[in-house]
Amino acid sequence: MPVFLRTHDTRMLATACMLPFLIVTQAIAAAPESTFPSQIDALIEARLKDFSTHASPICTDAEFLRRVTLDLTASIPTAAKTRAFLKDTAPSQEKRSRVVTELLASPQHATRMQYLLDWLLMERRSSENVASAQWQKYLRASAVANKPWDELTREILADDGGNAKTRARARFYLDREFDLTVVTRDVSRIFLGVDLECAQCHDHPAVTAYKQQHYHGIKAFLDRSFLFTDSKSKQKSLGEKAEGDVTFTSAFDETKGKTAPRILELPELVDPKDTLKQYITKPAKNVRSVPRYSRRRQLGEAMTVAENQDFRLNIANRLWAVMMGRGLVEPLDLRHAANPPSHPELLSLLGDALHQHKYDMRWFLGQLAHTRAYQRSSVTRPDSATVANRHYAVGLLKPLGPEQYAWATMEATGFLEKVRIDARASLAAAAKKAAAKKGSKKKAPKAKTAATPPSPPTLADIEAAVRKTVAPHVKTFVTQFAAQGGQKTTFSATAPQALFLTNGALLREWLKPAGANLLARVSKLDDSQAVAEELYIRILNRLPTESEQKEVAIYMELPGKRVDVLGELAWALLLSAEFRFNH
Amino acid sequence: MRRDHGCRRADHEFSRRGFLATGAAVGVAGLASPAVSKQLRKGQKRVLQIYLQGGVSQLESWDPKPGTRYGGPFRAIPTSVPGMHICELLPHTAQRMHLLSIVRGINLKTNSHHDGRLFMEMGRRSGSFPYVGSIAAKHLTPANAPLPGYLHITTRGLTDNTNAFLDARHAQLKLAGPKVPDNLIRPDALTVQAARRSGELLKRLNRRFSGRGGQKAFTDSYNASFEMAEKLMARRDLFEGKPDPKDLQRYGSHPFGRNCLLARTLLENGATVVKVTHHGYDTHAENFNFHLEQLGEFDNTFCMLLDDLHQSGLLENTLVMVMSEFGRTPKINVRYGRDHWGTAWSIAVGGHGLVPGAIVGATNKEGTEVSEREVDGGHLFHTYLQALGLDSTANHDLGGRTVPIGDPTRSPIKELLA
Repeated sequence: MPVFLRTHDTRMLATACMLPFLIVTQAIAAAPESTFPSQIDALIEARLKDFSTHASPICTDAEFLRRVTLDLTASIPTAAKTRAFLKDTAPSQEKRSRVVTELLASPQHATRMQYLLDWLLMERRSSENVASAQWQKYLRASAVANKPWDELTREILADDGGNAKTRARARFYLDREFDLTVVTRDVSRIFLGVDLECAQCHDHPAVTAYKQQHYHGIKAFLDRSFLFTDSKSKQKSLGEKAEGDVTFTSAFDETKGKTAPRILELPELVDPKDTLKQYITKPAKNVRSVPRYSRRRQLGEAMTVAENQDFRLNIANRLWAVMMGRGLVEPLDLRHAANPPSHPELLSLLGDALHQHKYDMRWFLGQLAHTRAYQRSSVTRPDSATVANRHYAVGLLKPLGPEQYAWATMEATGFLEKVRIDARASLAAAAKKAAAKKGSKKKAPKAKTAATPPSPPTLADIEAAVRKTVAPHVKTFVTQFAAQGGQKTTFSATAPQALFLTNGALLREWLKPAGANLLARVSKLDDSQAVAEELYIRILNRLPTESEQKEVAIYMELPGKRVDVLGELAWALLLSAEFRFNH
Repeated sequence: MRRDHGCRRADHEFSRRGFLATGAAVGVAGLASPAVSKQLRKGQKRVLQIYLQGGVSQLESWDPKPGTRYGGPFRAIPTSVPGMHICELLPHTAQRMHLLSIVRGINLKTNSHHDGRLFMEMGRRSGSFPYVGSIAAKHLTPANAPLPGYLHITTRGLTDNTNAFLDARHAQLKLAGPKVPDNLIRPDALTVQAARRSGELLKRLNRRFSGRGGQKAFTDSYNASFEMAEKLMARRDLFEGKPDPKDLQRYGSHPFGRNCLLARTLLENGATVVKVTHHGYDTHAENFNFHLEQLGEFDNTFCMLLDDLHQSGLLENTLVMVMSEFGRTPKINVRYGRDHWGTAWSIAVGGHGLVPGAIVGATNKEGTEVSEREVDGGHLFHTYLQALGLDSTANHDLGGRTVPIGDPTRSPIKELLA
């Protein structure tokens, strides 16, 4: 932060910075961390006078397991996990807490975060200037390390793409072709939760809180940078000038404005003295200029300083929406005075907690999973729908994201089980081979002692191998089900999607009996009750009710080859809304 | 003249010309399937949108300026409307201008394909709003319609969020020309009986799940997607049948010809909004040669479609627009091209609810700016919807939040409304 401080009255800034910080520290310190979920629930439940009359009860263990597994690991639980969890006689809250810890520690959690961050930052844009593999590798490493959100933000907003080692970070800029309008808008939307696009040409006509100077303040960080194409390699990266200021004119009343870089209402960042037109690499033909003082490099720093409340509120709202199905501010990138959070104190609490915990997203998601608000049943009380939805008095439906949908479908049909078995076997074989090679090098060729026993493949190794195998299928689902654009909590289904589910070859293939997959398993069962149980456990992660069992039994009586009839049953359950949504 | 006036009695909706056409002209050029007369009686309003993708040159089409500095090599020719001239590249269309009107004073204040296209579709310069087709589909598609409401025939795939905040059933459904859409055909291994009964089971499961509560918009949208898929599957014949050789000869056997034939079939069979995209007008180089070729294809094909709709009486109920994302610069560049130009350009419209044979707005002598009745995507948007009898000044009701349907700072082109 030294550059930031140098440019302001240090004393004043320190005071402004410490004040909210102290209050927050005390508030958090006074209440032990374990009660953070209950603080959340207290604020949720106090917000509505007759909350309890609208509130749905806490969901069943089965509902919880499916929900939390999808939210934290992008797939549904395996049949074995589901059965074990349902059988576990430990107190419900204890085993729920245990499963949250387990899931957060699993390699699949990193996969989930990788998908989420990709969606959040790149909004389903295609890869143009930065290879997708490179970007995914960077996201993966960040997710595995549980990189704090502020650190990730600083990395992404500082990089110019000039260094091959860190180039992936610059994808945010480079795959937006560094179009200044797009980049300015997306920086403010994605990192601050405000959509300033209309404030580009005039103060926002409908949103009085969005000022033209806000848009241009963000733009001023970026305005000196430009997309540079290397004449030989044709590789694109960012160059930057050491001069140039942002001025603007209102399209309404022609008033003129001028601004240095600034984040919304925070003070302007004045360039350090004697940096004007000072370069590390001077601009010239086919040369990527690098200034001594980069305004762009200040953006991530300025964004993540403690006094920028918008930064923490934005990410708190976005992560809340991931878990709860609806942002405290909706749309997620339209927070302003006239569109306040539904629960203002709660959003502040969440933002401050994230800030206090150094933007530890893994911790944050785990805490949310412990709240009553998260654990409510999605079965709505009659006549309570509207009010319950708005007040988190009921578990909201969350459409499966394309990646979740792919993994859940592969898990339910048993296709994934086969991939896992194959991955384990080939990793074990590879390890054995490596160990034998190592052993033969060390020992004399004729020594009879066995080579060092191969170490079994780690869970992360298996997960990586599985991920690689299923990547094309995940991509198919992304193509079919991803909508263009960023994080939203709305849902739209299309006819081509329904046709893909109904007639597409992929699902039909997975529903053919093979190995130990779903259809192979149920085909071997005699009793309709066992069939119903197997289908429901594997597809919907719960036991069938009595009437559902009957429904299965009746269906099994229908004419046709048994395996076909069972396939129809599995298909219907797989396409059911109960499967399509995380509920 | 105005067909709506809040009066929706069936006898008003049933047009005399339509009756005569179906009654008397049976057998003309592959028309008059039983479906046509049935649809006619219903008087369902429709939209035909022809999108000349890339930006058609107004100077080589609706607003020629022969003999001026930027006029280019082509002449202007008289049309079936006395005093109205259009470019000689549209000889067939010229003979049918009494069915169409021209808007010549469009200024979008953008030269971007993306922004221009969205402005022309959403009636808003920016933001996320439903396309005019999506709104028309929502309000005009009967509940028991045999086809999804909004169909777009195009050979390229841009992913557009056409329904914005409206329900997904009003989203545009893309068809890649007269071929069977992906996954439309039931797998061989699945018998009709199996498909039917498992489909019924699925419906039962979904009804039960909807009954538990949860956001209704979500479960409705999910269920609706299967209903639309079923409708398409039931009408796979529309995509499979070989076109009549006579029709093919009239329309042309090129993709645009085949796509327009499909458009006619879809309109005759109960589609509400059909959009056909004719690609390839972005003529930064060789503007004149390309327009000669492109508009030659457009002119003949479009006129055959227009004739068929006119003769079957469908035109009475169908709003027709021939639009683009912008026009092309008067200034001719060094490659004999014209560049992007949203500043002063034209479109043609006609059919239901519009005055035919009119010219609204004008550009100056050299076509460098609008000189009379300047309008933009917002005005056109109001005009389209009001021509269809829809109140464009009303609000979308989003459950607790309202959004004006048309931009409140814009109004319809009143002189164009019948």
